[in-house]
Amino acid sequence: MKAIELNEDQIDALKEFMNVSIGAATSNVAELLDAFATMHIPKIVICNSDELIAVIQSEVDPKSKYYVIKQLFSGKFGGECMFVMKNSSAKNLGNYLYHIDNPSQDDINDAVIELTNILSSTLISRLTKELGVQVQFFVPSAQIVNSEDIIYAEDIQHYSKIIIISTVLEFKDQNIDGNIYILTKDEAINSLIELIDNKLEELYS
Amino acid sequence: MKILVVDDSSLARKILIKELKKIEPSAQILEAENGAIAVEMFKNEKPAAVFLDLTMPVMDGYEALEHIMSLDPYAQVIIVSADIQPEARKKVLQIGAKNMCPKPINSEKMESIFMHDLII
Repeated sequence: MKAIELNEDQIDALKEFMNVSIGAATSNVAELLDAFATMHIPKIVICNSDELIAVIQSEVDPKSKYYVIKQLFSGKFGGECMFVMKNSSAKNLGNYLYHIDNPSQDDINDAVIELTNILSSTLISRLTKELGVQVQFFVPSAQIVNSEDIIYAEDIQHYSKIIIISTVLEFKDQNIDGNIYILTKDEAINSLIELIDNKLEELYS
Repeated sequence: MKILVVDDSSLARKILIKELKKIEPSAQILEAENGAIAVEMFKNEKPAAVFLDLTMPVMDGYEALEHIMSLDPYAQVIIVSADIQPEARKKVLQIGAKNMCPKPINSEKMESIFMHDLII
């Protein structure tokens, strides 16, 4: 099997496309919250599927519970957008959006799903626009889990390589933050490399 | 004339330089990959204009802009960023940037910058 690798130019390009996409997504969420978000540099990691759990675990607090919202998308560039938010941060989001001290679990769920919808749809739509393709979105799913259950082994057993494109959404003044991951696998990685190369050729011509 | 282009992405720098060269083909383009290098280059090279990204490692664009404006209050700095929040725009204009343009920059935007924002 041919090794899947991105060269320096391809990683740089993907980071830049992601940066532009995060900018658009952050702006939409900031508008929803009427607050200012700090933008972070995106990270690109290519790993074997069995390493994914360790990569994600390294970025979460093992003692906390997390909201995990996953949304699949398919097309020439397919994968999964995942937003991981600490339970305490989700409560702050509920407080802030509903202007009440103790939002109900339903209120928090609604707030987290609404934020993720805006975030993932803007992010992926903008990224695929940069890459010149269209994707189809599936209904997102949300759950509260312990940190060790963010990714289940069975979620990834059919894949060999995974690209993780990740960044942090951070509203410092409101104590709201979360990690965004775009996971894309196997054939989708080859499509992604092809799309990046086409885009680079177009830009440099 | 020297123009300094600051961005941690080499692709973003290339796109910007390509557009710059269409308008100022004879300009000498200087490149920096973070704010700290940009501040040093600004001190040493005294460019006529700076195109500065915001989200960068080592030193971000906000801090670099503050340093540059303290070195030269008349520095002509254009922010080119993916961060399109109104608060970000307000902040950089308060520090002293001439304008802020969303990424990716294109010919039309570049022409407008040279027509309305820069005195070169």
